[in-house]
Amino acid sequence: MKSRLKLISPAAAAAPRQRILSIRGLCKTFPGTGSFQKVLEGIDVDVKRGEMICILGRSGCGKTTLLNILAGFIPPTSGSLLLDGRPVARPGPDRCVVFQEDALFPWLTVEENIAFGLRAPQRTVRQEVERFLALVGLTEFRSYLPREISGGMKQRVALARVLILKPAVLLMDEPFAGLDAQTREEMQNLLLDLWARLNHTILFVTHDVAEAVKMADRILLMDTNPGRIREEIRIGLPRPRENEAGHFLEICRGLLAKLRG
Amino acid sequence: MSDDTPRRGSLHAVQPWLIPAALLTLWFAASESGAVPAYLLPHPVQIGGAAYSYLFGGPGAMPYAGRFWEDFTSSIVRVAFGFGLAVAVGIPTGFFSGRRALVNRLISNTLNALRAVPGISWLPLAMVWFGIGIQTTVFLVALAAFFPIYLNTASGVRQVNPILFQAGAMLGTTPMRRVFAILLPAAMPQIIAGLRLGLGIAWAYLVLGELTGVPNGLGAVIMDARMLGRIDMIVVGIILIAVLGRASDLLLHQLMRLCFKSARRLS
Ligand SMILES: Nc1ncnc2c1ncn2[C@@H]1O[C@H](COP(=O)(O)OP(=O)(O)O)[C@@H](O)[C@H]1O
Ligand SMILES: [Mg+2]
Repeated sequence: MKSRLKLISPAAAAAPRQRILSIRGLCKTFPGTGSFQKVLEGIDVDVKRGEMICILGRSGCGKTTLLNILAGFIPPTSGSLLLDGRPVARPGPDRCVVFQEDALFPWLTVEENIAFGLRAPQRTVRQEVERFLALVGLTEFRSYLPREISGGMKQRVALARVLILKPAVLLMDEPFAGLDAQTREEMQNLLLDLWARLNHTILFVTHDVAEAVKMADRILLMDTNPGRIREEIRIGLPRPRENEAGHFLEICRGLLAKLRG
Repeated sequence: MSDDTPRRGSLHAVQPWLIPAALLTLWFAASESGAVPAYLLPHPVQIGGAAYSYLFGGPGAMPYAGRFWEDFTSSIVRVAFGFGLAVAVGIPTGFFSGRRALVNRLISNTLNALRAVPGISWLPLAMVWFGIGIQTTVFLVALAAFFPIYLNTASGVRQVNPILFQAGAMLGTTPMRRVFAILLPAAMPQIIAGLRLGLGIAWAYLVLGELTGVPNGLGAVIMDARMLGRIDMIVVGIILIAVLGRASDLLLHQLMRLCFKSARRLS
């Protein structure tokens, strides 16, 4: 209650309405063996509604930790986290995650997995599942079990089961990292297509420079040890973006150099 | 998948019977040739006759004629009560011990010590406590069946991939739904393994319990037959327990598959 009251201060009311997620001074320290390991330090991010943000950083820089905090799976050591002006404390269907690894329920079929989180009258559930099966192109595989479909299809199911809940923010943790190059590109195009149609706000974590440049409105480049946002890069390339275009490759090269440096 | 062709199917239906058939043939040959004398192991035909009389004979025609159904009912009731008790205690205990480290620390030491005690050492104590009758048998059956059910349930719920709980939490599951829609289905294969092991042991301890001088039951028949020197009836009793044990195992497995989606799909 208190936090909501605070928000109706003149400054907050005047703030652009489209700001949906606001991260301030986020730190995370894990108790290590004997010492403490500082994994995230002073993360400040504002996300606008409908934005596609890529968090780019090397393995181990704390990307998954950041998403876990945003999702509410683990608490931050310090800092604040506001979604639509309300503090985030617990996991919930307003901030859904597509995990890097397979996190489908293996005893449920494709359509049962997609329907899992949707609490609605049966008819609505059926219609919505139908719609999202079609959106991710899995209508024919509706009654398959996760072990009977490919890795790319599994991630489509993972995407559909959270999109169906219309989350305010979609958190994606290297969702396509385990896929072969061709499937990965298909999935990137699918996500961009769904994003254009459904207008989600997406935080997309990746260690792949080309993927970040292809997807992002804004790239947040992360440092390792401690994990910090070193730089923010706005990608103004028109969509759809061509991986082979000269300008695209130039941006990639620049980022790659920064990532190494 | 490639096993679905009709020929493969019929071959698969025959395969489980190959070893029983071979054993029977061997037995037959051993008896016919006189290699194994009848006082050690009677001829299969004699066993068949004894079994027939035990199952279908008119009462009073011969010492054991027609007694089967009464023995069968007594034994089944004892197994059912004992196994039921083991399930009722073993699954919740295993569940909490698998999910709560505190519960596990509290009870696992004690339970694993008790588990090391062979069932037969409980028999004299059980007879003092419960006397001769159904209670002693039910106690022994429940005690023995409890451990595999408890251990497998605990390890099953402990090993559920935590990412499934994260997925459930972000999809908005209530605590109740987390247990019944995620935890139990995910642990189902191991819970079933525990139940099947427990049921098998239940039959073993049934016979132990019935050795104590109860008037009926399959174990009682075996003990009785030993006293009367009716080795054919001992063998009949052994075979019937084997058949019933296997049948109840199949029944349990099918029942679980019928009742739980995860039992059908995770195996
Ligand atoms: N639960 C934890 N306990 C201790 N250290 C952790 C924990 N989770 C992550 N870390 C550490 O935090 C760092 C960042 O991990 P992570 O967020 O998984 O990186 P990324 O996803 O960018 O590869 C790693 O050094 C890892 O060892
Ligand atoms: Mg990671």
